[in-house]
Amino acid sequence: MSREVARDTAYVPPAPVLGPEETFESVEERISGVVLHRRIDKGWLFGLAVAFGLLQIFFLSVSWLLAKGTGVWGLNIPVGWGFAIINFVWWVGIGHAGTLISAILLLLKQEWRMAIARFAEAMTLFAVACAGMFPILHTGRPWLAYWLIPYPNSMDMWPNFRSPLLWDVFAISTYATVSLLFWFVGLVPDLATMRDRAKHKIAKYIFGILAMGWRGSARHWHRYEVASLILAGLATPLVVSVHTIVSLDFAVSIVPGWHTTVFPPYFVAGAVYSGFAMVLTLVIPVRKIYKLENLITDRHIHNMAKVMLATGLIVAYGYAMEVFVAWYSGVEFEMFMMKNRMTGPYAPFYWALIFCNVLTPQLLWSHKIRSNLIILFVISLIVNVGMWLERFIIVVTSLHRDFLPSSWDMYAGTKWDWGLYIGTIGLFLTLMFLFIRVLPMISIFEVKTLVRPKEKSS
Amino acid sequence: MSRHHYDDELELAFLDPLQERREFLKLMGASLGLAGLTACVKQPEEHIYPHVRAPEHLVPGRPRFYATSLSRSGVGSGVLVESHEGRPTKIEGNDAHPATGGGTDVWMQADVLSLYDPDRSQLILRRGQPSTWSRFLEEVLPAFGTPTKGRRTALLTGNVTSPTLAAQIEGLKAHLPELRWFQWEAVHQDERRRATTTAFGRPLDVVYDFTKADVVVALDADPLFAEPGSVRYARDAARRRRDPARFSRWYVVEPSPTCTGTFADHRFRAKRTAIGDWVRSIASELGVIPGGAAIPEVAPIVRDLKKAGSRALVVIGPHQPAEVQALAFAINQRLGARDETFTTIAPVAAAPVSHVEELAALTAAMNAGEIESLLVLDKNPIFDAPADLEFEAAYAKVPLRIQVGLYDDETANMSHWHLPSRHALESWSDIKAYDGTVSIVQPLIRPLYSGHSAHELIALLMGGAGQRDHDIVRAHYEKEWGAQLESKWRRVLHDGFVEGSAHAPVSTAPRTAALSKSAPADLEITFAPDPTLWDGSYANNAWLLELPKPITRLSWDNAALMSPATAARLGVKSEDLVTLTVGDRATKAAVYVQPGQADDSVALSLGSGRRRGGRLALEVGFDAQAIRPAKSSWAAPVKVTKTGETYRLASVQEHHKMEGRHLVRQATIAEYAANKDFAKEPDKKVLNLSMYPEPHPNQQGDQWGMSINLNACNGCNACVVACQSENNIPVVGKEEVGRGREMHWLRIDSYFEGDDADPDIHTQPVTCMHCENAPCEVVCPVNATVHSPSGINEMVYNRCVGTRYCSNNCPYKVRRFNFHLYQDWETPSLEPLRNPDVSVRSRGVMEKCTFCIQRIQQARITARKEDRDVRDGEIVTACQGACPTEAITFGNVASPESAVSREKADPRDYTLLREVNTKPRVSYTAKLKNSGLASNRETKE
Repeated sequence: MSREVARDTAYVPPAPVLGPEETFESVEERISGVVLHRRIDKGWLFGLAVAFGLLQIFFLSVSWLLAKGTGVWGLNIPVGWGFAIINFVWWVGIGHAGTLISAILLLLKQEWRMAIARFAEAMTLFAVACAGMFPILHTGRPWLAYWLIPYPNSMDMWPNFRSPLLWDVFAISTYATVSLLFWFVGLVPDLATMRDRAKHKIAKYIFGILAMGWRGSARHWHRYEVASLILAGLATPLVVSVHTIVSLDFAVSIVPGWHTTVFPPYFVAGAVYSGFAMVLTLVIPVRKIYKLENLITDRHIHNMAKVMLATGLIVAYGYAMEVFVAWYSGVEFEMFMMKNRMTGPYAPFYWALIFCNVLTPQLLWSHKIRSNLIILFVISLIVNVGMWLERFIIVVTSLHRDFLPSSWDMYAGTKWDWGLYIGTIGLFLTLMFLFIRVLPMISIFEVKTLVRPKEKSS
Repeated sequence: MSRHHYDDELELAFLDPLQERREFLKLMGASLGLAGLTACVKQPEEHIYPHVRAPEHLVPGRPRFYATSLSRSGVGSGVLVESHEGRPTKIEGNDAHPATGGGTDVWMQADVLSLYDPDRSQLILRRGQPSTWSRFLEEVLPAFGTPTKGRRTALLTGNVTSPTLAAQIEGLKAHLPELRWFQWEAVHQDERRRATTTAFGRPLDVVYDFTKADVVVALDADPLFAEPGSVRYARDAARRRRDPARFSRWYVVEPSPTCTGTFADHRFRAKRTAIGDWVRSIASELGVIPGGAAIPEVAPIVRDLKKAGSRALVVIGPHQPAEVQALAFAINQRLGARDETFTTIAPVAAAPVSHVEELAALTAAMNAGEIESLLVLDKNPIFDAPADLEFEAAYAKVPLRIQVGLYDDETANMSHWHLPSRHALESWSDIKAYDGTVSIVQPLIRPLYSGHSAHELIALLMGGAGQRDHDIVRAHYEKEWGAQLESKWRRVLHDGFVEGSAHAPVSTAPRTAALSKSAPADLEITFAPDPTLWDGSYANNAWLLELPKPITRLSWDNAALMSPATAARLGVKSEDLVTLTVGDRATKAAVYVQPGQADDSVALSLGSGRRRGGRLALEVGFDAQAIRPAKSSWAAPVKVTKTGETYRLASVQEHHKMEGRHLVRQATIAEYAANKDFAKEPDKKVLNLSMYPEPHPNQQGDQWGMSINLNACNGCNACVVACQSENNIPVVGKEEVGRGREMHWLRIDSYFEGDDADPDIHTQPVTCMHCENAPCEVVCPVNATVHSPSGINEMVYNRCVGTRYCSNNCPYKVRRFNFHLYQDWETPSLEPLRNPDVSVRSRGVMEKCTFCIQRIQQARITARKEDRDVRDGEIVTACQGACPTEAITFGNVASPESAVSREKADPRDYTLLREVNTKPRVSYTAKLKNSGLASNRETKE
């Protein structure tokens, strides 16, 4: 659909978004082949086994938590939120890249997004699945967490619409629904391709059901285009709203270090930042292993690195503003909070955060570094760690020393905190491993639009 | 076999796993056979029918209150006990009782838990195995039989003030002329007795009157917390500090910070062994003894003392050597304070003897083989005897050792026979308060276990088997009151004390006292009763174990307190495990660096480090008794050596600096005179704007509020235990306290202001502030915390899903979360303890102070039924009722005439964290210091 636009402009992209030798047939085979023809190799099996092992830690941690209570975590009074909320925000943030790539870049007609959109969307879904579990599990009585949902009931009780946690319920559930729909709608034409190419009877059958009778007629394509545009339009505000609302969990409160108006934009930027870091973390090895360099080209990698740099700078601005406003407000509690972050017991975490999120991405100004996949991979990991630290700093250092010094205390995660965190990484990776083997990880039909017919280009 | 004996045998058959199978089958067979014969076997009395005609005034759901008296180290305190359908659930002060004035202390409050303690001894033990009463009678009674004349027998009791028991023991001694009676209390008054003998010619008790004292100098004394009569003293002292025009002035010199020290205007640190020099300096400045003042700091104190004359009072601690105390009495005599600010009365103890000498004599007698049968009544000397007496070895030499006690403790374990004792709330007795006022102790419940009271046992030894304690006590008063018995008995049971029974002041000719220069130890250790566990008799009381000790705020453990300088000199820090060596005995203890502690003085409280006697007592604390010498019971030179190990202490407050925040506000009287609004000064710049109409349109009817007078609070903790008892607050254990999860709805913060080594110490009770703009309410997603029309921030446990957002958003951090299932839902003996008017919370829900909403509702219902408004003072919250200093006022803030409104109208009234604009319903009255030293300790801000 964007081919015409690309043709109309005089602008020639600096690097191709698709290898020049690719044809319709080669694109189709390269992508669907990963699912249909490639044998189950030892590497994939090993990776899945590891991920599945981590997933067992998840089940163990959840079982223990439900049996014993929230007390198995390191929480206390004053630090009522800890790993669960940190991980929640971290995972939601990671999810953002997918929606940004698939929705906003779609509307902006950035065709380079096509090759990575599906992958990033899947990542979004899995990250949101991981994220969504934390707010439920972190409650004292998870089996009653459904009370947050406004539903008519015999108690004649409604939830408290003033509470940001309730907004969270709406934001996250909407986000999960729209992301899932958008992802699935985008998959339908490819599922039909898979159905058509599959040799195995059962595979044919399953893909057939999932393809929902797609025959590629003009009417189908028309409906598809309309639906995906609508969903993109719906998803776009969500990119901004979800993390804005997550940030309001903090900003609406009166806790020094939380009560900050800069939070919404700074959280959204941070989310995109961490999301792109996670996409890079995943894409760099996957493209290497499955030899997709022609589909996910160096230009994609460069663009993602640039987005990271840009959002990283916004985040850095956010940090700077936190410091400035704490000083400018003249409020002793705010000033103390900032001093405590920088010099208090958690100061090493703060400075590690500055190193990870502010200093490290400055390397991305260099074209050479952006071209070095290994360094880029390492940077993306550092940024992932940095974004986790950022949430740790926000959640923990604000709470552990607030208004009355008599209630100050320290916080540290227990093995069950770590267990659940590592366990959700296991869940995420397991889903990711399964995804790349059972569904086309790159949008076949979209990438086909990038193929330039040989006779025309010569 | 007699029926009684048969029951015993059967009971034993079930209890004793080693019982012969054949024997067991025989008994079972017999019981089956007897069951067939039925009628002649008495069935247990179990009434399950409802009242057809209910007893008068018994309304189900409405508690009744009974007056009785509780004992600590033998001295009584009058209380009212709340009883729900026959179950005592809560201790309240008895307003009418002259010895308490209506206040309570932590021990009175917590005693109701001791009653229900599941670890209480429940069985008669013979050499550690369950046995029976009849076997006890068979084996033990002959040893005390009439023909023996009590030869080679002895009786060891605690401090006896009970007139009935004293008379019984006199009777027993007449019955068994050779029986020897010894008394022992770990927290004894030996030095006080010697001192009064020196100063006044005979052993006397001293009763202070702080309402009259304009200037008080307390030297190593804690009269507001740890002495007999402290509850009354704290009330009197606080009353003298309500009106700035009649403010008393307190100087305190002490080795370790106490509640009295925090209350004082001026607090000086001094080693316990150096207090003598302070007393000598004051005495010589006053001309009591020749010589000049060696300590320059005493000059202003002496100036004030001279000025106040007979309205001055020097309070000398009972832990000081007798000569020092005697000199202090001489100072009081010179000032003319006797019979003005203090009186001397005949001792409250029935036999005022030196307990250390008594125990030493008993030990010597046991070692010499002079004692063949020893009956220990409600004492645990194996644990609390001075280490150097080697009591344990001597005790082991006694051929027949019998102990009666509430717990299967160290002494029970060493005894041939152990009988469970009765708790004060399940027995009849009588007791004297610190001023001699007699109270009748009446039971609130039938004995939970087959306990035996001291009265019954003494009667048994006198041949009166089967006598009941009620009859014994009543018979004693029958002799005294004669025909008036019935009416007077009823009156006394109702009032809780015998009117006018306080000892009259005794005037004796004073003697002159002299004191040679004291020789302070290079490094001393001081012993004192623990501020929560006392001498160890409360060592298994979960409320008291978990209760943070005043000022240090250590929960569960005691610790070796040291000043920062001393710790630095010794190269140790908090939580280092050290060996404390006194003479040739050593004990280990964890160090806790305590600002305000005197340099070169290590404080270790008694009562911890138990080896037996309840599951909770065992795990925690360090045994001070192991190094406590008999000769100098309260202070000794000590050697501290590092072990290289550490020990984790659980403190509920890690940070004691105010960080420049205006949390506790304080001014001197002079500053107050110059600026009445000093307490509002820090809030001058705060603009409390709101987008909402004010007052809130939902507000209607009475508006509840509270005022806490920081001037009165001395940090004694009574309110904290009262709150725990009233509101079914669970105990979480040391581990969980260490993780920052203690559940107390009300806490007493302590802050150190100024110099690190010698700070001003503040205490500040913090409860839920019931903010009008409550930050917790907005953020709760499920509406589990909401505002009532009368301004209470309500917590709906059933609705709470446990997001803890409310706690995060609470600037006062007064919300408490059930991270685990903290409440004990299983132990049957704890079930009757709970207040039936308060929900028992489960895992995963938030809880917090409710302003004792159950009491508010009760009063509102009553008022509505009587078609009137709730009267001012009709609702008394648990903390308010428990407070000995009347620091807490509760009531309707919408009515300008209410007591709480009057308190809040005081210019010193301020709210905590005004800048957050939460509009708390709880406000504080700022502290005033009646500073006598212009240069010293300028108050901050």
